[in-house]
Amino acid sequence: MSTSLELPDASPARHLPGDLAMWLFILAELTVFALLILTFAVAQALQPQLFHDGRQLLDSSTGLALTLSLLTSGLLAALAQEQVRQARARQGAWLLLAALLSASVYVGLKLGEYSHLVAGGLGMEHNTFFTLYWILTGFHFVHVLLGMLILVWLAERCRQRVYGPGNCSVLESGVLYWHMVDLVWVLLFPLVYVLN
Amino acid sequence: MSASRTLILCWLGLALLSVASVQLGNAGATLLMASAVLLAALGKAWLITDGFMEMRHAPRLWRGLLLAWPLAMAAGVLLALQFSS
Repeated sequence: MSTSLELPDASPARHLPGDLAMWLFILAELTVFALLILTFAVAQALQPQLFHDGRQLLDSSTGLALTLSLLTSGLLAALAQEQVRQARARQGAWLLLAALLSASVYVGLKLGEYSHLVAGGLGMEHNTFFTLYWILTGFHFVHVLLGMLILVWLAERCRQRVYGPGNCSVLESGVLYWHMVDLVWVLLFPLVYVLN
Repeated sequence: MSASRTLILCWLGLALLSVASVQLGNAGATLLMASAVLLAALGKAWLITDGFMEMRHAPRLWRGLLLAWPLAMAAGVLLALQFSS
């Protein structure tokens, strides 16, 4: 006879997707971005008119298009992960390629914006707003490019059916990195393009 | 509700909040509008965290950390805006 009272656990077990190493990396990245975002916010508090004028030189509709392309890419990557969990790795590979295509729209738009600003003489040394604009968005842009490389690698591995329902921790980690890029952007977008 | 359907609904919410934040930004340069824009950004960040990153099923400490990051960022930006106004 059992002497201990065992209560059934009604809630499903909590689970951290991906690898712990990726989560530690994500936390480190978020800390760096936090410092940059707060630096931008404090500089704006010190020179509000300069930041207001700087923002007027950016196109918020381009910012919105950049946001939508990244968010769509994030959705497609999440759907790909879901397909792999249901033993449909090939569909997962196609969805990752679609995510990559959507991310390419972001890259094209961002490069267009950068070249437009450079042509207008609004480079890194123009003023404080543009110094921080280039540092903040440039650092994020590098993360987008790295994320795209990861998506290519994951798509190829899915095509080879390396991942499956019980074996997708690496895929989850790669997709988590991509969502972190999204997460940072949804804070950068209003800060750089929208707030007045 | 299937996981894919949940993800699509998250994306819809994210897209709507993105459009709304641009509209709010164009509506005026007041602290109230800026707060609304930051609130929309916070909602988007939480949708990504709980929806796309699946933190709603994660251990509470990790979920708390990920939900606290955008909250701290939005609060910091708002605080800085308050000092400049």
